[in-house]
Amino acid sequence: MKNVNLRVGRVLRASTRGFTIGCAVMQPDIPAFGSFVRADGATPRSAIYGLIYDVSLEDDPFVRQFISANPPEEVVRDQRQNRQVPIEVSVLTVGCADGEHIYHCLPAQPPITLDWLYQCDEEEVRAFTARFDYFRLVLEAREAPADELLAASLRFAAAARPEEERARFLTEAGRELSRLLASDLVRLEGLLRRLRAVTEVV
Amino acid sequence: MNTRSPAQELDAFFGPRPAMPPPVQRLGIVVGGSLSKGLDVKLDPTTVIEGLAVGRYVVVHGQTGRRFFSIITDVQLDSLNPLIEKAPPDTSDPFLTRVYQGNLVFGRIHVAPMLMLDPPAGGREREPRPVKTIPAHFSPVYPATEEEVSLIFGREEEKDHFYIGEPLEMEGIHVALDLRRLVERSAGVFGKTGTGKTFLTRTLLAGLVRAEKLAVVLVFDMHNEYGWKSEDEKRHEVKGLRQIFHTRVAVFTLDEESSRRRGSKIDGVVRIGYDQLEPEDVDSLAGIMALSDVQVGALYFLRRKLGKQWVARLLDEEDPLEELEDALERGTIHGGTLGAIQRKLGLFRRFAFLQERATADPVREILDYLDRGINVVLEFGRYGSSLEAYLLVANYLTRRIHEHYVERTEAAQGRSESAPIPLVITIEEAHKFLAPEVARHTIFGTIARELRKYNVTLLIVDQRPSGIDPEVMSQIGTRITCLLDDEADIRAVFSGVSGAGALREVLARLDTRQQALIIGHAVPMPVVVKTRTYGTAEFYAEMGASSVLEESREGAQVVLKRGRLLLRGEEGEGEI
Repeated sequence: MKNVNLRVGRVLRASTRGFTIGCAVMQPDIPAFGSFVRADGATPRSAIYGLIYDVSLEDDPFVRQFISANPPEEVVRDQRQNRQVPIEVSVLTVGCADGEHIYHCLPAQPPITLDWLYQCDEEEVRAFTARFDYFRLVLEAREAPADELLAASLRFAAAARPEEERARFLTEAGRELSRLLASDLVRLEGLLRRLRAVTEVV
Repeated sequence: MNTRSPAQELDAFFGPRPAMPPPVQRLGIVVGGSLSKGLDVKLDPTTVIEGLAVGRYVVVHGQTGRRFFSIITDVQLDSLNPLIEKAPPDTSDPFLTRVYQGNLVFGRIHVAPMLMLDPPAGGREREPRPVKTIPAHFSPVYPATEEEVSLIFGREEEKDHFYIGEPLEMEGIHVALDLRRLVERSAGVFGKTGTGKTFLTRTLLAGLVRAEKLAVVLVFDMHNEYGWKSEDEKRHEVKGLRQIFHTRVAVFTLDEESSRRRGSKIDGVVRIGYDQLEPEDVDSLAGIMALSDVQVGALYFLRRKLGKQWVARLLDEEDPLEELEDALERGTIHGGTLGAIQRKLGLFRRFAFLQERATADPVREILDYLDRGINVVLEFGRYGSSLEAYLLVANYLTRRIHEHYVERTEAAQGRSESAPIPLVITIEEAHKFLAPEVARHTIFGTIARELRKYNVTLLIVDQRPSGIDPEVMSQIGTRITCLLDDEADIRAVFSGVSGAGALREVLARLDTRQQALIIGHAVPMPVVVKTRTYGTAEFYAEMGASSVLEESREGAQVVLKRGRLLLRGEEGEGEI
């Protein structure tokens, strides 16, 4: 996540709670489940932040035919790099910004079709995850695998920080989760175990 | 060439600068409570629960800049979800433990706000005031700083204040008792056996003796521990009041031989004549001598019939008691009752301090000292082990001394003479004097109820406060309590003290030694102290230094006074 303004793809369809983008090619780490992305907002310098929660590859008639024909390697590479149907990336909206402040709430308007979606750089990720208010939006999302998504996003957020700060950051995140999920101890424990796994990785 | 920076130059001249005190870390926030029941405080995740203890002080910072000085009365564990108690997390995982602690599970403390400190005005701290309101939700709570504790308790240098101990874990802060207020009402020192009641009482008495002219004390010294010398737990000898304050304390004894054997320097021997005993004196022993109501009634009848020598005559087996023949015939007094009284009075024969005819009036002798502002300790010698002797003598002397004080106080009210110096009578085993069934009849019950009307108050020392009449307990102004673990005793100590229920936990968890909870009239708010150590060189020096100072101030007058005493034979030569 060191590239600045790394494009993921363009907006296909959008709503206030989330949007879907299409991209032609899949790179090793883009798009990645749980990563922080940003689309431009309707006004200058405004932005909409989201978390990638699904990456889906639809088939097309050519691919169907090739599957049974055991295509040569050259054709496979061509089909992967020059796809007829775009890779669809689903994004859960978790915040917005007005150019000065970041808010962990839904934006007034969704991004517009064909807007570019960018991968957030480390600085943006740190700024966005300085607070944990977006946890509630993720935990309440019905369309996304909330717990997996949150754990994955925290792995990215921890990785965006200096090594010596990561353990403390994850502990603080865990504490916020324990407050939010106090009434559901089973879910909390599952989520915390995922976070603990993150602490071993980052 | 001088290579030092200006800062180094200044340090070299003035010495190194004192280190800045570390910032005070917040303990938590107020989350509920009431003025009557105290405040609930949720502890911050960073606060170590084990670092807090009942009896410690905290300060709640209110919205208006007020500080609410409070005492921790309970420490609790709580959780956001009670189910966690049924299914606790895997505590072997340090990450999970770190996350859970302080959040899903957390500590709470219950604090009782005691005093309010208004914001300083004009750069000066305001006087602490009683709490009449409480801070709002989420007000931050901090540990009390040494400055704040000093502001409330540290008035040692003020007139008539006496350093009694240090607050828990605040070494160097001196909690001062207001002695003037202490003697205004009766006071009590309570605690189960072996908790240091006697040492604490002796410290208090030393404070009263040192504060000359504030009060004069009369100690009924049951176990010979206050007058000349005593021993601590390690069998080290400690000085009694007489050794520390010399001429300001006089020692009387009931048992001259015992006093001589112990090397005690005595100023007088108390001998009571049978003819000096009145039925009231025997009445005070009714419980312990198992005198029935009929027998007690008969005592007054016998006194009327037999005259001043009534006790001696009843004890004289040869005396035919002719005056009683008519009464026995008419049935005014039953023969069995008379016989029982004679048998029970036979107890007096065991007391050598009771004599057929006393040559002197011990009451008058003691009063002579008290009226001159000299404190008196009455040692019981071997009679200390006899509760009957202790009750008899204490009642006998106190009743007469009290009468004298009543006369003098009334005369002062009539402006014919000055009021007597307030008298503090110290009694041990107080529940024997002040039990509900006897408190109404004995002089001690009367004194406790009168407050300071006649300038006489009590300092009662007892290990069973539940045995004391509740009405008397409610009149005890200052209660200094060492560890008590009997529920009834704890309840008794707090009877009549509003809002003190919250302090029960504090009391039940005092250390077994040198810790006391002080509540009431002589302190601005309840305080748990590690009591000052009696018997150290510093203690003697402080008591003695004051004495030397006073003596040098009064100079010639004191020498003259001593000379007069010597001439009258009331002072030993060793004192000059």
